[in-house]
Amino acid sequence: MIRQSVLLTIVLAPLIAAILAGVFGRFIGRRGAHTVTIAGVAISFVLSAWVLKLLLVDGAPPVNEAVYTWLVSDNIRMEVGFLVDRLTALMMVVVTFVSLCVHVYTIGYMHDDPGYQRFFSYISLFTFSMLMLVMANNFMQLFFGWEAVGLVSYLLIGFWYTRPSAIFANLKAFLVNRVGDFGFLLGIAGVVYFTGSLDYQTVFEQRELIAANTMQIIPGIEWQAITVICILLFIGAMGKSAQVPLHVWLPDSMEGPTPISALIHAATMVTAGIFMVARMSPLFELSEVALSTVLVVGATTAFFMGLLGMVNNDIKRVVAYSTLSQLGYMTVALGVSAYSAAIFHLMTHAFFKALLFLAAGSVIIGMHHEQDMRKMGGLKKYMPITYWTALIGALALVAFPGTSGFFSKDAIIAATAAASIPGATYAYWCVLLGVFVTAFYTFRLIFMTFEGPERFRTDAHGHHDSHTPHESPWVVTVPLIVLAVPSLVIGWLTVQPVLFGDYFGTAIFVEAAHDTVARVAETFHGPGAFSLHALLTVPFWLMVAGVATAWVFYVKKPELPSQIAARLGPLYKLLENKFYFDELYQAVFARGSRRLGSVLWRAGDVALIDGAIVNGSAHVVGWFSGVLRRLQSGYLYHYAFAMIIGLSALLAWYVLR
Amino acid sequence: MFDNFGMQAAAAEIFLIATICVVLLVDVFLSDSKRWITYALSLLTLAGCAWMTLSYGVNERVSAFSGMYVADPMGDVLKLFSYATVAVSFIYARDYLQRRALFKGEYFVLGLVALLGIMVMISAGNLLTVYLGVELLSLSLYAMVAFDRESTVAAESAMKYFVLGAIASGMLLYGFSIMYGIAGTLQLDELAVELRSVESPIGLVFALVFIIAGVAFKFGAVPFHMWVPDVYHGAPTPVTLFIGAAPKISSFVLAVRVLAEGLDSLVANWQDMLIVISVLSMAIGNIVAIAQTNLKRMLAYSTVSHVGFILLGILAGTNDGYRAAMYYTFAYVIMSVGSFGMILLLAREGFEADRIDDFRGLNRKSPWFAAVMLMLMFSTAGVPPFIGFWAKVEVIAAVLDVGLAWLAALAVLFSVIGAFYYLRVVKVMYFDEPTDTVDIQAGGTLRAVLSLNGLAVLVLGIVPSVLIDLCVRALP
Amino acid sequence: MPGIGKRMTLTSILFYAFSAVLVVAALGVITARNPVHAALFLVLAFVNSAVLWLLMEAEFLAIVLVLVYVGAVMVLFLFVVMMLDINVAQMREGFTRYAPLGIIVALLVVIEIASVVWVKRLGVDTTTAVPAAAPEGYSNTQALGELLYTHYLYPFELAAMLLLLAIIAAISLTMRKRRGFKQQDVAAQVAVRPQDRIRIVKMAPEKDA
Repeated sequence: MIRQSVLLTIVLAPLIAAILAGVFGRFIGRRGAHTVTIAGVAISFVLSAWVLKLLLVDGAPPVNEAVYTWLVSDNIRMEVGFLVDRLTALMMVVVTFVSLCVHVYTIGYMHDDPGYQRFFSYISLFTFSMLMLVMANNFMQLFFGWEAVGLVSYLLIGFWYTRPSAIFANLKAFLVNRVGDFGFLLGIAGVVYFTGSLDYQTVFEQRELIAANTMQIIPGIEWQAITVICILLFIGAMGKSAQVPLHVWLPDSMEGPTPISALIHAATMVTAGIFMVARMSPLFELSEVALSTVLVVGATTAFFMGLLGMVNNDIKRVVAYSTLSQLGYMTVALGVSAYSAAIFHLMTHAFFKALLFLAAGSVIIGMHHEQDMRKMGGLKKYMPITYWTALIGALALVAFPGTSGFFSKDAIIAATAAASIPGATYAYWCVLLGVFVTAFYTFRLIFMTFEGPERFRTDAHGHHDSHTPHESPWVVTVPLIVLAVPSLVIGWLTVQPVLFGDYFGTAIFVEAAHDTVARVAETFHGPGAFSLHALLTVPFWLMVAGVATAWVFYVKKPELPSQIAARLGPLYKLLENKFYFDELYQAVFARGSRRLGSVLWRAGDVALIDGAIVNGSAHVVGWFSGVLRRLQSGYLYHYAFAMIIGLSALLAWYVLR
Repeated sequence: MFDNFGMQAAAAEIFLIATICVVLLVDVFLSDSKRWITYALSLLTLAGCAWMTLSYGVNERVSAFSGMYVADPMGDVLKLFSYATVAVSFIYARDYLQRRALFKGEYFVLGLVALLGIMVMISAGNLLTVYLGVELLSLSLYAMVAFDRESTVAAESAMKYFVLGAIASGMLLYGFSIMYGIAGTLQLDELAVELRSVESPIGLVFALVFIIAGVAFKFGAVPFHMWVPDVYHGAPTPVTLFIGAAPKISSFVLAVRVLAEGLDSLVANWQDMLIVISVLSMAIGNIVAIAQTNLKRMLAYSTVSHVGFILLGILAGTNDGYRAAMYYTFAYVIMSVGSFGMILLLAREGFEADRIDDFRGLNRKSPWFAAVMLMLMFSTAGVPPFIGFWAKVEVIAAVLDVGLAWLAALAVLFSVIGAFYYLRVVKVMYFDEPTDTVDIQAGGTLRAVLSLNGLAVLVLGIVPSVLIDLCVRALP
Repeated sequence: MPGIGKRMTLTSILFYAFSAVLVVAALGVITARNPVHAALFLVLAFVNSAVLWLLMEAEFLAIVLVLVYVGAVMVLFLFVVMMLDINVAQMREGFTRYAPLGIIVALLVVIEIASVVWVKRLGVDTTTAVPAAAPEGYSNTQALGELLYTHYLYPFELAAMLLLLAIIAAISLTMRKRRGFKQQDVAAQVAVRPQDRIRIVKMAPEKDA
C-alpha cells in the first residue's frame, strides 16, 4: 500500500523548501537556501523512487484518492487528489531526479549571482508545481499545476530581469502559452460540460457518452464532441510542449539561466503536454481526427525545427532547437497511439537532454559566459569531463545503437512506419529525415565546441586571451556524470518492460486497431538483437551520414559551410530567420492587436465607457448620494418619522390592497 | 418538577450570568491600575462560556425551561462565534479605552450582558425570550454608546438610539401581542403549527408588518436604518466595533428564529416585505456611502448595504438561503471587526483616525497594515479570492435558486457600485502622501490579532470550505 | 340565562367607560403643555389600566400596577420634572411645524390599524373567545406565582437580569469622576494632622536694606 502521507510529503517537501528559501532567504543565507531546497528535493526523489519500487516490485495497487475537497459547486467537486500509477510514478522519478541534479549543479553555476536564494526558491517551487501536475487525479489540479509551472517558467526566463531581452523572452513565453492555455481551458470546460465531473476516472468512464455527442461550432457543421475536446486539449499541449506553430517561445526562453533551460525547458515542463495527452489516452483514442492532427503537428515540428538547429551558432539555442525537434518526435508517437513510446522517449530524453544542457552550461562557465560556438573550439583538452559526458549525451541524442535515445527514437520511427491513420506517411518521412538532421546539428555542436582550432584565442575582442578555459568545479561535473549514466544505459535496461511489456497497465489505453507498438513488438527480440538489427536499417545509416557530414563541414573543411550558405542564399536565409515565424507573429498578432486595441480604446474606452458609462454613472450616483445624504439630518424626529412612514407604507401595501 | 427544566442545556448562559456578577464584584475592589484584572476575567469568562457550550453541545434540537429555551447545533455554532467576536472586540478596545480613561469595569460588564442578550436570542424558543434577549442587548448597547461622558456627540447618539430603539421595541411587541391574540401561544414551535390552520391571514400579515419593522430596525435596514450612521459615528470607536460585530449575529438569529421557525407559513408574505427592505438597503447603503468622508460613517452605510445582502439569503426562505445568510453574517462580522480594528490601531491620544484622509499614505508608514486594510477592503467589496466574495456568491446563488433572477442582478449591480468607496480607501493608502509622520502606537496584542484577522479574510477566502462546512453543520 | 347576559353588559359598559378615559388620559400625556400635568395624566392612565385589570379578574396585577407605578415610579417622576424646570415652549418649537404632516401620517396609521383590527376583525373568528369563569376559591396571585416560578422561570430570571443591567447602566452613566470635579472626603478631613497642612519654616532674620 502506498500511504497518503508519503505522497503528501513528496509534494510538500519542495514547497516548504521553496517557502523557506524564498521568504526567509535573507535569514538562512546562501548555504541555508541550497541546503533546504536540496534536502527537500532529495526527500521527494527518494520517496518517489520508493513509490515506484512499491508499484513495480511489490505490486502495490495504483492510488486514486482525494486528499482535500476545496469546494463543491453545483455537484462539481473541486478537489486536491492524487492518482499515482506507474505512469505517474515514472514521471515523478524523472522529475525529481533531474531536479535534484539541477539543484546541485546550480550551486556551481549561480555561484556569483545576487539572486541565489530566489533562484533556489523558484526551482523548488517548480518541482512542487510539476509534481502537482503529474500526480493530479482531476482536471482542476492538472490545470493548477499547468499554470503554476507556466508561472515559474515565466519568472525564471526573466530571472535576470534587468536584461531587456530576458523580459521580452518571458513576456513572449507567457503570451504564447496563454494561447495554448485558452484552448486547454476550453477543452476542460468541454469535458465538464459533457460529463459534469473533473475527476479523471469519472470522465474516462463516461467517455462513450462524450463520443456519442456532436456539437456545432460553426452553424451547420456538426463536429464530434470528442474530436473538439481532444483538439482543444492538444492546443494546450502545443503551447506547453512548444509544437509548431506555438513553438516560438522556447528558443527565446534560453535567456534564462542554463540550469533552468535544462530542468524546465528541456527535461520536464515542456514534456507536460506529452504527459497530459498520454494521460488522456482514453479520450484521444476515440477520435482519429484528433490523432491525425497530433501526428501532423508533431511530424512538422520534428523535422522543420531540427533544420533550424543546423544553422544556429548559439550553443544553447542549438540544444533548444534539438529539444523542439525531439518533442516533435514524442508528439508523433502520441499521434500513432504509441503512448508508451512517447513516454519512453520522454524519459530518455529527459536524461540526455538535461545532460547536454548542463554540459553546455559547463562550457559556458568555462568560457566565462560566452555562448557563441564560433568563438569556441578545441575545448576537449581543457574540459575533459564535460567533453566526454557531452559526447555521451550527443550519442544518445542521435540514437547511436545501444544508447538510451536509440531505443526510444527507433521505436517511434518503427511505430510510425507501422501506423495507418491519415498523415502517417508524411510523418514517417519527417521523422526519418529528421534522423539525419539531428545527427548533423548534434555533431556540429560537438565538433565546433570541442574539436578543431582554439578560436577563443584569436578572438577579435582580445577579451578571452587572458583566460584559459578551465574544467568546472565538482558540483557541476558530478551532476554531469550522474546524468551520463542513465543517458547511456537506461534504454537498454528498461526498453523491454516499459515499451513492449505491460509496464503501464491500465494507465494508458490503446484501441486494438491503433496499437502500433504491438506491431513493432513482433519484431523485437531483446535489446541486444534490436541494436544489432539497427545496423542494417535506414535510420542508422542516415545517422552515420549526418555525423560524417558534420565532420566534413566543421573539422575537415571548415570553409565549406559558408560557401554552401552563399550558394543556397534564400534557403539559408529562411532557416536563419526561423521560417519568419517571429516576424509573422510580430506583424500580424502583436502589431495587429495593438492597432485593434488602440481603435477600441479610443472608441470604446475613452468615449463610451469612460465618458458615458463610468463618469456618467459616477456623476449620477454621486449626485444621488448627495441628495440622500441630506435626509440624514441628525434630527431625532426625522428619524422616527422615517420609521413610521416605512411602517405605514408596508401596512398600506399589504393590508389595504 | 425541576427535572424537565433541562438546566444543563443552558449551562453557558448560567455560567455567564454568574461570572458577570463575579466580575462586577471583583471590579469594585480594584484600583484603576489593576483594572486589567477585570479585562482578563472577562476574557476568561468568554473562554469558560466556550468550554461550556462545547461540553454541553447538542447534535439535535433540545428544549429546556418548558420550551422557553432551545439548544440546537445552529445555536452552538452561533454562540461560539459570538464569544470569539466579543473577545476580539475587547482585545481591540483595550488600548483605546486606556488612552482615553475609559478603561472601566462597567464597559466589560455591559459587553458581557450584551453577549447574554445575544445568547438568549440565539436560544429563544418563545417570543417572550426573544423580546427579553432583544432588550438585554439593546439596553447594554445604549449604555455603551453613551459610555464616554465627556463626549456630547456620544450622548446625543445614545439618546437617538435609545428613543428609536424604544419605538422599534414597541412595534415588535405590538406585533407579538397580535400574533398571540390570533394563535393563542407565544411558543415558536407551537406558533408554527397553529398558524398553518389559520385561513385568512390578514391579521397575521398585520402583525407581521410590525414584527418585520422591529427586526429590520435591529438589523439597521432601510427605512429603519437612520440610527445606524449617527450611532456608528457618535459612539466611541470600540463601541462602534462592538455594535458592528456580535449584534449582527443576533439580528440574523432573530430573523431566523421568528420568521423562519415561528412564522414559517407566512413565508410568501415576509418574502415580499424583505425584498423591498433588502433592495432599499443595498441601494441606499451603497449610494450614500460614496458621499462620506468619515470612515466610521462610511462603514455604517456599508453595514446597511451588507444587511441588504444578508436579508437576501433570509428572504430566499430555503435552508440554503439561511445557510448563505449565516455565512454572509460570519464573513461580514470578520471583515467589520477588522475594519474598525484598523481605526483603533491608528488612533492615538487626541487622534481618532476615523476620517478616510487619516489613512493617507499608510503604505509608507506600515506596508503590512496597509496590506491588511487592503485585504479587508477588497473582501468587503467582494473581490475574489477574499471571503467577502464567496459570501456574496452564496447569497446570490440562494436567491437565484428560488427564481428571483432580477433580484440577483440588482445585488450584483449594487455590489459594483459599492466597490467604489472601498477602493477609495485603498487608493488613499497607497497613492496619497501621508499627512503626518507619527508611527503606529498600538500594542503588540492588537497588532498580532489584527494581523490574524486580516489574514483570516484571505485564508478563509482561499479555503472557503472551512466556514461553509461550519454553516452546513449548523443548518443541515 | 339573563343573569349572565346582564352581568356581561355591565362589564362591557364599564370596560368601554374606563377605556375611553384611558385613551383620553394617554392623549393628555402627550398634548399637555405643562409636564406636571402630563405626569398626572399618566397617573390617571395607570389607574384606569388597573381598573381594566380588575375587570379581567386579575386583581394582583391591578394592585401591583397602582402600587408600583402610581405609588413609586410616578412620584419619583414628578420630583424630577419639578426639579429640572424644563422650558416647555422651547421643546415644542418643532412640534407645531411638523404637526400637520405628523397628523396625516398618524391618521393613516390609525386607519390602517382600525381597518384590520376593527373592520376585518383580524381575519379570525373572535366570537368564541370567551374564557370560562374561574372556579371557586381561585387565587390569581397564587396562580401567577406558580407560573412565574415554574413555567416562566427562565424569562423571569432574564427580567431580573434586565433590572440589574438597568442599575449598572444608570450608575455607570451618572456616577463618574469627571476631570476637575471636586468632592469632599470626610474621612480624609477627619484623619488629617497638623503636619500635613502647616509647614513651619525657619528663616534667617532679614535685614532692611
